[in-house]
Amino acid sequence: MPLLEGLQVALTPFNLFACFIGVIIGTLTGVLPGLGPAAAMAMLLPLTVKMGPTAGLIMLAGIYYGAMYGGSTTSILVNVPGEPASVVTCLEGYKMARKGRAGAALAVSAIGSFIAGTLGIVLIQLFAPPLARAALQFGPAEFFALTIVAVILLSNLSGKGGLKAFLMIAVGLLLSTVGLDPLGGINRFTFNYAGAGTGLSFIAIAAGLFGVGEIFWLASRPDENAEVMQVGLRDLYPTREEIKRSLPPMLRGSFLGFLIGLVPGPAATIASFASYSMEKGLSKHKEEFGHGAIEGVAGPEAANNAASAGAMVPLLSLGIPFAPSIAVLLSGMLLMGVTPGPLFLRDHPTAFWGVIGSMYIGNVMLLVLNLPLVGIWASITRIPQKYLMPVVLLFCMVGAYADNNNLFDVWVMLGAGLVGYLMRRFDYDPAPLLIGLVMGPIMERSLRQALIMGRGDPVIFLASPISIALYVVALAIFVFTLVKKFRGKGQTMAATGCR
Amino acid sequence: MGNWRLKGIALGLAALLVMLALSLVGCGSGGKQPGEGAQGSGDSQGNKAAVEFPTKPVEMTVLFGAGSGADLLARKVAEIAGKDLGQPISVVNRTGAGGATGYTYVKGQKADGYAIIWNSNSINTAYHAGNMNFDYKTFSGIAELTTEPVSIAVKADAPWKDINEFVEYAKKNPGKIRIGNSGKGSFTHLAAVALENKTGAKFTHVPFGQGLAVSSLLGGQIEASSQLPAEIMSQVKAGQVRILAVTGEQRLKTLPDVPTFKEKGIDLTLSLWRGIAVPAGTPEPVINKLEAAMKKVTENDEFKKFAADMGANIEYRGAKDFDKFIAQQDQELASLMEQIGMKKQ
Repeated sequence: MPLLEGLQVALTPFNLFACFIGVIIGTLTGVLPGLGPAAAMAMLLPLTVKMGPTAGLIMLAGIYYGAMYGGSTTSILVNVPGEPASVVTCLEGYKMARKGRAGAALAVSAIGSFIAGTLGIVLIQLFAPPLARAALQFGPAEFFALTIVAVILLSNLSGKGGLKAFLMIAVGLLLSTVGLDPLGGINRFTFNYAGAGTGLSFIAIAAGLFGVGEIFWLASRPDENAEVMQVGLRDLYPTREEIKRSLPPMLRGSFLGFLIGLVPGPAATIASFASYSMEKGLSKHKEEFGHGAIEGVAGPEAANNAASAGAMVPLLSLGIPFAPSIAVLLSGMLLMGVTPGPLFLRDHPTAFWGVIGSMYIGNVMLLVLNLPLVGIWASITRIPQKYLMPVVLLFCMVGAYADNNNLFDVWVMLGAGLVGYLMRRFDYDPAPLLIGLVMGPIMERSLRQALIMGRGDPVIFLASPISIALYVVALAIFVFTLVKKFRGKGQTMAATGCR
Repeated sequence: MGNWRLKGIALGLAALLVMLALSLVGCGSGGKQPGEGAQGSGDSQGNKAAVEFPTKPVEMTVLFGAGSGADLLARKVAEIAGKDLGQPISVVNRTGAGGATGYTYVKGQKADGYAIIWNSNSINTAYHAGNMNFDYKTFSGIAELTTEPVSIAVKADAPWKDINEFVEYAKKNPGKIRIGNSGKGSFTHLAAVALENKTGAKFTHVPFGQGLAVSSLLGGQIEASSQLPAEIMSQVKAGQVRILAVTGEQRLKTLPDVPTFKEKGIDLTLSLWRGIAVPAGTPEPVINKLEAAMKKVTENDEFKKFAADMGANIEYRGAKDFDKFIAQQDQELASLMEQIGMKKQ
């Protein structure tokens, strides 16, 4: 039983300590917007190299998956996503906090993260090599088909009218083209301003549209928020009913997230959006969505953790990094003399099983660490808005700057805050815009790569059964939505006609 | 009242968080403000200050993201050189616009040696691509430290056993071979274009992002890849891909069996160099002091091993040679970029 030996390795005091430090740093980077796991891992890399491969990798991995736990905290409490993957949690989590259920939302997201994290490791352990080989079948043409499905599926996330949502996706796609063109190496829409060359930072726009927009919104309305929420200690934790409603979304989110994690790109972010959209479609409490539905926290939070586990599959079985933080992990392995990929398990079984074992333990640690924190975090919602909001604004600005040490990002965030306020005023939903912003680069890149590889012939888009199947799915969703809409209209018309 | 106490705890917690966030950013950009008064503008004072250099932390700007190959080498250099100089060197990533963001920042700093930059061929490509309106002459070289060749690799079961067979096939079937690089105008793209120039072969160049060129090669969507060795090393060791040749002057220490193009009779040498530079006008004694520290880094055993693991060769050039070398590289890269239609200035 290699796993038992792995657990034994992970349970030695030094490795346990490495895991503990790793998950704590991970949680912190998750909580602080702007400071991502990639940066934290790169900073600690020299230290981990000195710790030896097993302890070093345990610590790096701890930071990596720990970050997925912390990200939801600020989303729920103050509507500021700590990580790109926690943007969706703002939608329902913050609404729950406003209703006095911050504790429940935090606890559910910690439990969801734990379940997904653990399931993710089981899946890695059982299916990594075949899944990785399957992922290799996806070339640029297939990725393009996948993004088409994603955009159609996610376009109506909020249900606030199809046209408005589609408009927002289009705006997001357009905004994603700002900056240095990743394939052509040409600056687009930067007006010769060097700071804009990086493009519009996702975290700055997300923090702006949600966090800063909310601050402006609260500031624009007099004394409505003067009262401070009174929450008893017993209300801090989820009720039995809430747990019951959260479990199925967590499990669905785990599997969905893991599969999306295999795909290159910002998998965790996309996974959380996809899970939200799925839960919304399946929920028996559809009317609660947009007003603090617990399924909308449980599903996405599980999905982004599972996606981060899924993203380790290409690294462990092929040695290919699909995300920046995974690339740091890869560099760490190379520096420790460990070759990731198929040789990892053969040449370094202790390190491999030690890391897998430590991931089980780390997830338990994170749960134990995060549940007691719920009470402390939730008490933040008791601070009157007039004191809390300026602090949050400062927090957002620091986060936007720290992401890239670029002052331009701070202005982008403040601009996005203004737009976020206007969007709220005129009832537009910011979430589709962010989906456009995330999907834009992948969509554009795979479209252009596929055309280059097909030497300009668009037939390449239909050359593989995978792409054809994906287009069929996209078409089916599209037709289904249209039919549903018209039938819905017909029924209401019939109903009014009868009267 | 209990309520008040809770409020107090919450406020304290919020304050703590903000302080934590601020201190993290502070770490990143620490030592940005040059100490006024310590440095005079006169020459004699400049010399005096230089002898005492460094009296506060030095900040190194890295043009690429945390965890990238450039970043990891830079952090190692900063760690070792910082110990030697007696002041820490903090690394700050200023990414974007093909390096122009970072260059623009360092150019705007005082020429006193406290703002240094982890320089590379990006100084040539970012200028010629039109991302910034100043070129390599804006900076003074301190020292070149490492070079990384570009590797041309194919899948392990590909029919071409060596680079000559591969080139022969590409000549007979122009455009048939699709070769993945890290982005249009990137160094790996320019290297593949240079290979076309030297041999008369014709490829279809496919630009990719991080990790994707390698996975597309493994998935059989493209026939070959042009990548830095570090990006493909683990697949080579696992026997999934085969590097046909590298563009270095000499073989790579970590891949002693892989020939260079020169050995195979193709006159192609092109390496991605990395080193340290400062804004032009930095006092001579400061440059000398930094140069000496960098020379020691290249002689350090720990650094030697680190560089080898990252797929880089150590190649030291002092300040004067480094400047000449960059000038020569500038012309070479400019003509390659002109050829792919990317030279704007």
